[in-house]
Amino acid sequence: MTALLSLQHVTKVFGGLTAVDNVDLEIAERSITSLIGPNGAGKTTLFNCLTGLHRPEVGEILFDGSSLIGLRPDEITDRGVARTYQNIRLFGRMTALENVLVGQHLRLHASHWSAVLRTRRQQEEEHAARESARALLRFVGLHGREEVVSTNLPYGDQRLLEVARALGSQPRLLLLDEPAAGMNPSETDRMMELVHRLRDEKGITIFLIEHDMKVVMSISESVAVLDYGEKIAEGTPEEVRADARVVEAYLGPEVAVQETAGPASG
Amino acid sequence: MALQSAAGSIRTGLIGFAFLSYLILIGIPGRIGGSALPVLALISALFFWLNLRREAAHHLARNPEQGLEGDEGKPGWEIGANADSDRSSLHALLTARPGTALALRGLLAGLTTGLLIAVVSGIFAAAMGNGVAIQPVLDKIVPINVAALIGVSPGQIVQAEVSFIRFLLQILLFAGAGTLAGLAVSAGGSNLTTAARSGFLAAHVSGPTLGSVGRFAGIALPFVLLAYIAWIGLPGVTAFGTNEGTVRLLLTLIATGSGLFAVRLSRPGREQRIVAVLLGLGVVSMPFILDQFQNSVMGLVFIFVMMGLGLNIVVGYAGLLDLGYVAFFAIGAYTYAFLSAPFSSPYISGLLILMGVSPDSPLLGYWMALPVAMLTAAIGGVLLGIPVLRLRGDYLAIVTLGFGEIIRLFMLNLGELTNGPRGILEISQPALFGVSPAGVTFGLLSSQGWIFLLALVSSALVAFVAIRLNSSRLGRAWFAMQEDEDVAEATGVHLVRTKLLAFAIGATFAGMAGQLYAARQINIFPENFTLFVSIDALALIIVGGIGSPAGIVLGALALKGLPEVLRGVDEYRIVTFAALLVIMMIVRPAGILPSARRRTQGTDPDEAGFDDSGELMEGLVSEEQVAASPGLANGKEEVR
Repeated sequence: MTALLSLQHVTKVFGGLTAVDNVDLEIAERSITSLIGPNGAGKTTLFNCLTGLHRPEVGEILFDGSSLIGLRPDEITDRGVARTYQNIRLFGRMTALENVLVGQHLRLHASHWSAVLRTRRQQEEEHAARESARALLRFVGLHGREEVVSTNLPYGDQRLLEVARALGSQPRLLLLDEPAAGMNPSETDRMMELVHRLRDEKGITIFLIEHDMKVVMSISESVAVLDYGEKIAEGTPEEVRADARVVEAYLGPEVAVQETAGPASG
Repeated sequence: MALQSAAGSIRTGLIGFAFLSYLILIGIPGRIGGSALPVLALISALFFWLNLRREAAHHLARNPEQGLEGDEGKPGWEIGANADSDRSSLHALLTARPGTALALRGLLAGLTTGLLIAVVSGIFAAAMGNGVAIQPVLDKIVPINVAALIGVSPGQIVQAEVSFIRFLLQILLFAGAGTLAGLAVSAGGSNLTTAARSGFLAAHVSGPTLGSVGRFAGIALPFVLLAYIAWIGLPGVTAFGTNEGTVRLLLTLIATGSGLFAVRLSRPGREQRIVAVLLGLGVVSMPFILDQFQNSVMGLVFIFVMMGLGLNIVVGYAGLLDLGYVAFFAIGAYTYAFLSAPFSSPYISGLLILMGVSPDSPLLGYWMALPVAMLTAAIGGVLLGIPVLRLRGDYLAIVTLGFGEIIRLFMLNLGELTNGPRGILEISQPALFGVSPAGVTFGLLSSQGWIFLLALVSSALVAFVAIRLNSSRLGRAWFAMQEDEDVAEATGVHLVRTKLLAFAIGATFAGMAGQLYAARQINIFPENFTLFVSIDALALIIVGGIGSPAGIVLGALALKGLPEVLRGVDEYRIVTFAALLVIMMIVRPAGILPSARRRTQGTDPDEAGFDDSGELMEGLVSEEQVAASPGLANGKEEVR
């Protein structure tokens, strides 16, 4: 399997703080990979580097063989990388449908003149865009909510709408920043099921940040762990769970000693 | 509860008095003359009616199952009731006759207003009768103004011969106005109840209720007004004496504004299309009917409609606060001036002679110059846009403010090119196939009428383009950018291109407006392009409703048209602006006719309830219907 996304020595420094420190990572096509780590470990910063919001000082990011470094966020989205946000950032006063239509912005090509003249081609494109936006909303489970202004949607639906908007740009790689944060168990289950369907039905590679260990362990095929900007572990969920450094990073050194000492003495 | 409602009535009366005081302080009664008192009473009746209706609707929204009839046990009059038995019998009486309570509330409010007006005008009259000069402090408080307010002749005031009866009459008049307003609300009450209970459609379909009558009247109003304006313009017909010109202008403003509402009132589909087309024809015929003065005002109004529509793209759609919008207006005006006025600049004249062109004749006509002016303004827009690409909010506003001033100072100081403060004179007039229609239409179309017609057609075109663009993917990108710039970019919106397009298109529209303005003024000077033009344009879109083309037309009518009607009180225009803006922000924070997007924000549920039932009662279209219909687009079509 070839790597769809490959990070080499990626480093991002803010003033004196190295938020992402020399991270190497490979993400295989059609895989589900989780990025975990304690608060402030640099997970979201790494996402921001991937989507062009930050430019890493050192390192290379290759997506499907070509570099993403120095590209604008919209160019990166055009290459096929889309994302959602940790704190929901929808276009609040737009309806659900309009949010997804903005997501499709890059895939629409009718000129602005043709929009003024309402040419047939522009009308057809617009119609098709609306249809596919509806289909995407149905896909994430927001059928019937098309005309609801997005701030009026319930919290869980807003998260789903963010996914639908990201899907609008027809991504190959989807970055989900804590998709299950603040959700109740049934909403979390819905989201996990959606993530699986995204991969299985649409063939989208998933790279997600998550704090809920239950989600991470059940959904991921591979897990990477960041601590103080450094990647301290990588592997299958089982491998990562057993990794001493991971336990230490999460629970502190003393507990880690007990944890590792426990099985040895027993 | 009774006390509360009495206090409410008195408060209504106080607000009515405050409003009337303003009108008195700026000298309105003196301008109206003999019939000032009834007019003021009528205005306050309208105010009371709105207020009482609002209260009643509020009540219904809170206790929908009760209806209006059930509520009438707590009227304002009870403040004086001291015996319980009295109270219960009156209560019973009022429950049986709901109209009485509302009428009493209106009476109380009217009494409050009337009493205060009488006291104040009495003080003024007494002061003047005894030779105390008020004018140095309040410059509009002159005998003629106060006399009109009391309903006597100015001479009587000066000689202190005003009878006490006059003040009693004053109070009675306002009290009567309040009572009438209360009765009017209760007359619409049963309809209000039905509407609130069974929803708009049920009330609508169930035959000729007050609602559908109101709707029909609303649609008919602009047509009636237009016909009336045409009729009093006929030779031989005289009405309103020397004020006829002003009254016709006011009626034209109202007709145009109510036309926008009429289109909204009509049912989407065929009815709406027919109304829009007929109104469009009516408005387009106005330049032929109005005289030079009215046409010149309407021309200015619609030049500002174009400005507003252009600025609305930048501010309303893309969310980029531009305080230097006058720059593009100036660029358009000066470009046309350069191209069409005889050249005073020795450099350009020399260049033209070298090229074999006579420097005394205009280089390009209006239509040939139009694309040049638009292009120049668009380039100006991009040139401003590039340095401010990374700026947001306050910083953007300050830089654009500076840009507006820079252009004006260029025009002022590039004397060799622009003739400096002496301006560019003798700008040629727009012609059609070589002749100016103003000259060959049997005297029907005055030169200002021709400008008005051009302004109408151009602003319809501009509105059309703006609305189409806004409903396309570009409009969505603009709005997304306004909502969250970073996310919009990460979602795939090319920020640089999208922002520059907004600046360029907005500037193009301002350039068109500027060119027409130059043609209207014939002579232009740098002082025509001060910061105040930017502020006017911004104020009119805020008052009208940011993002709503129909609202912008209303805003321009109100902020550029009304001051001309109130010529005599023009120096109070800035105060009026301020007051209007403050009131607007409180009463309708999203503008007179807010855009569908902004009204979905749902500010205060109570307020929304009032809006709904209030509109239901008049048979206006429900909120949902407005939001779902392409009302904005159609609303604008009447000017086409």
